[in-house]
Amino acid sequence: MAVVYIRMRNRVQVKGNQTVRIKDIARIIGPEEVIQIIEETFLLTVKKEDKNIIVIDLAQLIMAIRKVDPQIEVQTFGPSQTIIEVIYSKKKMSYLTFALVWFLLFIGAGMTIMNFHVDVSMGEVHQKVFTLITGKLDEKPLLIQIPYSFGLGIGMILFFNHFFKKRFNEEPSPLEVEMFNYQQDLDRYVTMNENKENVRDLDDR
Amino acid sequence: MTGKIIFGIFVGLAGGFATGAGFVAFLTVLGVIPRLTQLTKTMKMIHYYEGAIIAGVVAGTWLGLQETKFFLHHFLLIPIGLADGIFNGMLAAALTEVLNVFPILSKRIGIQEKIIYLLMALVLGKIAGSLFQWIYFVDL
Repeated sequence: MAVVYIRMRNRVQVKGNQTVRIKDIARIIGPEEVIQIIEETFLLTVKKEDKNIIVIDLAQLIMAIRKVDPQIEVQTFGPSQTIIEVIYSKKKMSYLTFALVWFLLFIGAGMTIMNFHVDVSMGEVHQKVFTLITGKLDEKPLLIQIPYSFGLGIGMILFFNHFFKKRFNEEPSPLEVEMFNYQQDLDRYVTMNENKENVRDLDDR
Repeated sequence: MTGKIIFGIFVGLAGGFATGAGFVAFLTVLGVIPRLTQLTKTMKMIHYYEGAIIAGVVAGTWLGLQETKFFLHHFLLIPIGLADGIFNGMLAAALTEVLNVFPILSKRIGIQEKIIYLLMALVLGKIAGSLFQWIYFVDL
């Protein structure tokens, strides 16, 4: 009796109409001759009705392996399901959309900061600080305000730890961590809701 | 008379408590100070940073309420303005991050790799908007 170790992959990408074999979604460790048979075992063909997310549960995988040979003992570790992302056509990013979004963010950021300054009367505070330090009055204390404006940008860049492609150290920036967390949340939602092994509705009876 | 004074002190103190607690809560949620210690690798000094924040708040409050004048050289305003801007910029950046703007936006329009350019749009927009306001817009 052969023992095989299985580690399911977390996320895999496949093309439309592609056949998914066990080797595509899991890493199998065990005796050479057993692995070869298991890895090539056919699981499913991606159909149009599957839309773009398919979740394969560990239970389905073990069932498929037992169909090949019920004598095989399966030891599993790692994730207990694989999310298959079906990519029908690699979406080409359009530069027009990108430019539009860029422009939107640029104008939006500029306008919100102006609204914020008026909202908190920052101009008056700057005038007051000018008087505090120099003892003179200045209606337009640009000596504070221009360094302030550039500092605003520097502060944001420091926070995100990025200056275009250059980064200041090896650590992931809060933005990258945030993107990762968001993807994890999406994956968790999908594994709970798209996985047929997880949900059983009353009207299924 | 004494009663009025005691009541006045009490009201002032209570107002200060609430505002101070709110300020600290806001800073904590945005996590600007941990981010700074992480960037500069000075985790051990975080208590001194707390002290800096408290000292800054107290000094700012007091000087803001008085008519104090120091008669110092006006070039001193440049580092003050810059520090003011960097701090505000970090607050603004932290706020966008808390609100999850970028992960959602990049998913929607499908540009994971180019996200840094979108970030630069935000940064440049803030600088441009701010400069425009102080140099030109205030005179309108």
